Amino acid sequence: MIPIEVYLIFAAVLFAIGAYGVVVKNNTIVVLMCIELMLNAANINFIVFSAFTADVLGQVFVIMSISVAAAEVAVGIAILLNAYKARKTIEADSLTSMRW
Amino acid sequence: MIFDSSVVTAIFGQFAPLAPMIVLIIGALILPAVFFSTKRREAVTAVSMAVIAVSLLFNILMMVDGYQGEYAGLFSYDAFAGIMILLFQVVIFLAALVSVSSSETTRMHYGAYNSLLLAASVGMMFVATASDLITIFLGVELASIMSYVLVAMKRSDPRAAEAAVKYVIIGGLSTALTLYGLSMLYGVAGTTNIADIAASLSTQEFSWAFGIAMITMIAGYGFKVAAVPFHMWAPDVYEGAATPVSMFLGTGSKKVGFVALFKVFLVIFVAANATASFATEEIQYVFAVIAAITMTVGNVVAISQNNIKRMLAYSSIAQAGYILIVMAVMTEYALASGMFHMFTHVFMKGGAFLVVGALITVGIGEKISDYRGLAKRAPLIALAMAVFLFALAGIPPLAGFTSKVFLFSSAIYDNGVMTQWIWLAFIAILNSAISLYYYMRVVKAMFIDRGETSERIKIPRTFAAAVAICFVFVCVLGVFPQLIMDFCADAASVLFG
Repeated sequence: MIPIEVYLIFAAVLFAIGAYGVVVKNNTIVVLMCIELMLNAANINFIVFSAFTADVLGQVFVIMSISVAAAEVAVGIAILLNAYKARKTIEADSLTSMRW
Repeated sequence: MIFDSSVVTAIFGQFAPLAPMIVLIIGALILPAVFFSTKRREAVTAVSMAVIAVSLLFNILMMVDGYQGEYAGLFSYDAFAGIMILLFQVVIFLAALVSVSSSETTRMHYGAYNSLLLAASVGMMFVATASDLITIFLGVELASIMSYVLVAMKRSDPRAAEAAVKYVIIGGLSTALTLYGLSMLYGVAGTTNIADIAASLSTQEFSWAFGIAMITMIAGYGFKVAAVPFHMWAPDVYEGAATPVSMFLGTGSKKVGFVALFKVFLVIFVAANATASFATEEIQYVFAVIAAITMTVGNVVAISQNNIKRMLAYSSIAQAGYILIVMAVMTEYALASGMFHMFTHVFMKGGAFLVVGALITVGIGEKISDYRGLAKRAPLIALAMAVFLFALAGIPPLAGFTSKVFLFSSAIYDNGVMTQWIWLAFIAILNSAISLYYYMRVVKAMFIDRGETSERIKIPRTFAAAVAICFVFVCVLGVFPQLIMDFCADAASVLFG
């Protein structure tokens, strides 16, 4: 049987890739995708712990968090569309009308 | 007896602990229909006011009667939930009341706007009643996702579109961090019920997984309460959003993060304190350092702001730093006074935002220089604004002074013994002095500087009523803090068991 550490390291690497993408990417849609990666890393953690302790609550949590992520992306894409209509760009570097 | 909660149990049966939220959910579902059938903003506001009033009535009945109940092991209504639900109801009441006459709120989608406001406050109340990590997570997300839309709803201003993009990305990042922390906490404790987690952790040694859970959750909820260094979204969002929405976010949405922090961290640490193997003190120090940096950065950066909404946003970050003292000190008295400060903050900061919103509606700009000579043009509003700003700075006998005395004294003495957090109280008092400077700039502009015109201005009636409510509470709570403080003390003793 594969030890639990392997799954946890996989999830941690996925989380780190997502966090890296959020920091360096300039396209806000790609940033939203990277946030999805981070959420899925947490979901994998829940599933792994749930499977190894034979406790179903973790799987319930994952179903909830998937639906929350879907709602968040739906709202996020709508807000990006709104910003594109107002500003004709959604590059993160262009969001500079307010600072300090 | 006048206050008898058996009415609530008779109506709602097993769902009685959720009664205030159920009323608001029903309201949120019918409001768009009300708007599409009548096409009148006043009708929508009347219905949402009625719904909020019913919800408020149920909550006060349950709170004063000392009702306790739980639903499905996910929600439990106790003194802590009652007082926090009351806070969110006050916020939603003020926000819904002024939205109708504000020139910044949407005209086409006013029904949807109101139902989003109600749904966001339902999310906040879910967090207040939650007894499980699942319901805390869902409540915070319900409040956050609704807030993203509310910010983006000011379609006339390109700054709102930009603020909404920043808010949704930072909010998503915060969700991801929190969820990762929750998953680690679930892995360590093997359950999602908060009381069971505390019981399970008190039998364990400190582990690296628990450390990761703490770090990511502090970061995730740090974004929600806008603690430095996770605060960069807050000024942009408060500046870009419509002022009633800024008021709702600054006074309500920020408190959700605190309620979640109280629920998760305090409960865990009170249990963990029983076993000496836990690194409780290290995490208390982390919170103490975050609190000190948050209040200092908030106050210092606020000095250089020219936009009044942005200045209030930074001052709100500083206030979050004061409330974070609770997480460092972690005593029952500190929690009670922290909750009392959350209440007075609603009236002080809420009142200041309402005055700004009223003045924007009558055509005065957001710059501090636009406020010159306001005392001649609108003496009562200028007086109210001055009182709110004095209260925020902590001038006696106003509410901000009383709550700051409680909060800072909790960091100095614990049961007559001097605590190790006295340096935190020192930094906080120093910061109050700094904050007086930038509040006085606004008061000086209003009362001393000469304006270009002395034409009288008349603000809309709903704004005047909301400002009057805040004004009364800022004055009354300063002199009679026990009105709210007694409930806060009960609530704190519930969390500390």
